[in-house]
Amino acid sequence: MNVASPAAASSADGSIYDLGYRHYEGKRHGGWFAIWSLFTEGLRSVWGFGRPMTAKGWPFALAGIYAFPAFLQLALSSVFAQSMSEGNKIELIAYRDYFGMMWLLAMVFCIAQGPELVCRDQRSHVLSLYFTRPLNHAGYAFARVAALATALFITLMVPMIALFIGDVLMKPDTLRAIGDELPRLLPAVPANAVIALGMASISLGLAAFSPRRAYSTIGLVAYFLLMEAVPAFIYAAGQHAGWTWAALTSLLTPITTLTGAGDWFFGAPLSADFPSTMSADQYVAAALTSIAVFAGLLLLRYRSLSA
Amino acid sequence: MNPQSAPAAAPPAGPGPESGSFAAPAIELVNVARWYGNVVAVNDVSFSLGPGVTGLLGPNGAGKTTLLHMLAGFLAPSAGTVRVLGRSPHQDPSVYRQIGLVPEREAVYPFLTGFEYVRFNARLQGLHDPDAAARQAIRMVGLEDAADRAVGTYSKGMRQRAKVAGALVHDPQVFLLDEPFNGMDPRQRLAMMDLLGQLAEAGRTILFSSHILEEVERVGSQILVLVAGRLAASGDFRAIRALMTDRPHTITIHSSDDRRLAATLIADPAVFAVELAEGGLAVQTAHLSAFRRLIAERSRSVGVSLLEVVPADESLESVFDYLVRR
Amino acid sequence: MNAVPVSRSIKAIPEIVRVTLRQLLGRRRTILLLLLSVIPILMAAVFVAAGESDVDGFASSVLDVFSVTMLLPIVAVLFGTAAFGAEIEDGTVVYLLAKPISRWAVIVAKLLGAATVTALLTIASVSVAGLIALAPQGEHGRAAILGFVAAMAVGSVCYVSFFMALSLFTRRALMIGIFYFLIWEGLLSSLLAGIANFSIRQYTLGVVGAFFQLSDQEARLTPATALPLAAILVVVALALATRRLMRFEMSGSGD
Repeated sequence: MNVASPAAASSADGSIYDLGYRHYEGKRHGGWFAIWSLFTEGLRSVWGFGRPMTAKGWPFALAGIYAFPAFLQLALSSVFAQSMSEGNKIELIAYRDYFGMMWLLAMVFCIAQGPELVCRDQRSHVLSLYFTRPLNHAGYAFARVAALATALFITLMVPMIALFIGDVLMKPDTLRAIGDELPRLLPAVPANAVIALGMASISLGLAAFSPRRAYSTIGLVAYFLLMEAVPAFIYAAGQHAGWTWAALTSLLTPITTLTGAGDWFFGAPLSADFPSTMSADQYVAAALTSIAVFAGLLLLRYRSLSA
Repeated sequence: MNPQSAPAAAPPAGPGPESGSFAAPAIELVNVARWYGNVVAVNDVSFSLGPGVTGLLGPNGAGKTTLLHMLAGFLAPSAGTVRVLGRSPHQDPSVYRQIGLVPEREAVYPFLTGFEYVRFNARLQGLHDPDAAARQAIRMVGLEDAADRAVGTYSKGMRQRAKVAGALVHDPQVFLLDEPFNGMDPRQRLAMMDLLGQLAEAGRTILFSSHILEEVERVGSQILVLVAGRLAASGDFRAIRALMTDRPHTITIHSSDDRRLAATLIADPAVFAVELAEGGLAVQTAHLSAFRRLIAERSRSVGVSLLEVVPADESLESVFDYLVRR
Repeated sequence: MNAVPVSRSIKAIPEIVRVTLRQLLGRRRTILLLLLSVIPILMAAVFVAAGESDVDGFASSVLDVFSVTMLLPIVAVLFGTAAFGAEIEDGTVVYLLAKPISRWAVIVAKLLGAATVTALLTIASVSVAGLIALAPQGEHGRAAILGFVAAMAVGSVCYVSFFMALSLFTRRALMIGIFYFLIWEGLLSSLLAGIANFSIRQYTLGVVGAFFQLSDQEARLTPATALPLAAILVVVALALATRRLMRFEMSGSGD
């Protein structure tokens, strides 16, 4: 490095100095690398890595509580494995029922970390900086949704795996048990993927509309709670009044729809919690539609921000 | 002003704003220190202030804001005592009737108009006629034209003035201002300096912090210099300058015959160096007072008439520089 | 140490309340919350349109579920955490504290401001919804409306004082508040009965019981238990908040 740099340009009244800055002529990664980088950064920030311990508190605590019943069952299975004969199981939580039981925690996870992902960038006005890179509004939105969806998918799958291990442990022949249980576990993967993607797109699609975290957080809480309760109420009123269309309102719910869509992968008919006139196909269709709609909202929002 | 024992300093010269009077000083610190774990923010500072304006100088990180927070009662000293108007301001809200505080942070409630904001302060102070007091304060800071606009629409300088108005509406005895001239344009700054001067004349005790030296120079000559948490100097800054004997003063001289004057000056032991330059003679001397006598006598003896004698670095900048680097 | 005379502090309260009201109501926040408070009213309309007339059913499915369990905590957490907002963290609370006013007066004033707007919003929502759905149902219906109005008043004060105190101690008061009413009051309450003693929602529903009997699985506390517990909560929250303000210290900002 040349320390004593001569003036790069000078005239009688002024000079521009050569500070040794060299133009970068090497390889440049394209848009996909930018998206990937943003995705990994988002995934890290959802879990609080790269930030002080307090930032890790919420996501890990919520994911931990979400997985707690599964680990409880795992612990109980390993303790009682000896005294249990083949086919005798203790309180067994089925893979397909788990989300329907613990959805509240997953929802709070999204509420806690969703605004984290999309509000801070808007607040600190770094978006215009991002968009000067080979990253457009679609890439940004995609990276953010992917990050939250992935984090949520991990949260949802960890208890599935714990249940799987628990089930395997309760059987004497491990290898055969794995062979038996694995096909039962497999539908959980796409089911939870759809759930994760659905919740992530709803959360970010709504949260991105306000740079202020408090409004986004409250808005998400209100949306999730009310969009569950209102259709349920309308359905109950509809049963009394004989409105046949009332059951369809459940397609507007975020959580119920996603639970139903998840059930579709498990094949069997829907549980009694769902309106009797509805089928899993409708819920899958509704889930995919909502993913598209909310992703679209997110795109629109960032398009207007990048303009 | 009474300083702590500064290293190698003679008892301070200069008329202190409160020299040996019988009334209790408005502000009094005795061996005050403040530390956060291992970091010492303020280290064994003592001084007392009376009516008049005093500038609190220091580089960033010197502990000025910490000191002001302690004076304002929002920080307890780790050691020593802080007394404002005879009492400790810490956790004693009643003391705020007599203190006007202008912190560095932005004021809240941007939806209030300037007038409403000042009147809000007046009402919280329990004044009998808050409206009139608010109008008076607004007039004093020169915000009459903008008083009916929301503070959120103000420029930074106007917001500063609104803060000052809010702090003086209850006519307190003591003013504490943290970087009050921040964001003001030169004209507003002059106006604010005049205001502070007026308040000082009226017997108020004013302490303001700054690291813009020309501000402090203008408002008053009394300073406190804080460096790395310690009080490096206090008093009239010219007097402080005079005390800095290990650093030569530079004086520029224009005369009818510079070379002849230079030759005679260099012979004297009080003179360190003489430089002949385009603009005149630059003389470096350690003893300013001795030199003053010397120059008159020598120029007369060699028949040179003096046209101009200018101390080149009397500014606060050089004082400050010196103290910081010590 | 000279304390501030109580009369001086009390006289300052209305002024702080006024400014707090303006601070809380001026923005998008109000519109969002107005939209939320309309929902129970819409549900009342649906109720009537469906030809239902069961007062108890309405009370539990709308007034309890929508208004008490959802609307009230959401409104309260927003206003409660916004009363002081970021003032403690960014130090701007000093403008309020550098006044000759006792700290408890500042707390009370902020509480009055935030609790009043919360109560007004929720009571309006409950009243209109109740009038639409229940007024035609006679004495029983009117008792329900009265019960819930009273409950909203008590609930507002409780929730707001709790969330406001929380906001003075932690930066993530909003999230903690949401976690509290979703998980603690929601999920855990249905699992463990003892939690009812520590749940503001149960205090609120308990107050309803003074006017109107909710079906058994909803309310677990009698008014005689709920009110004293609520009072204790409010006093403790305000006391802690006052202490926090008294101990407020400005950190040296690098200088």
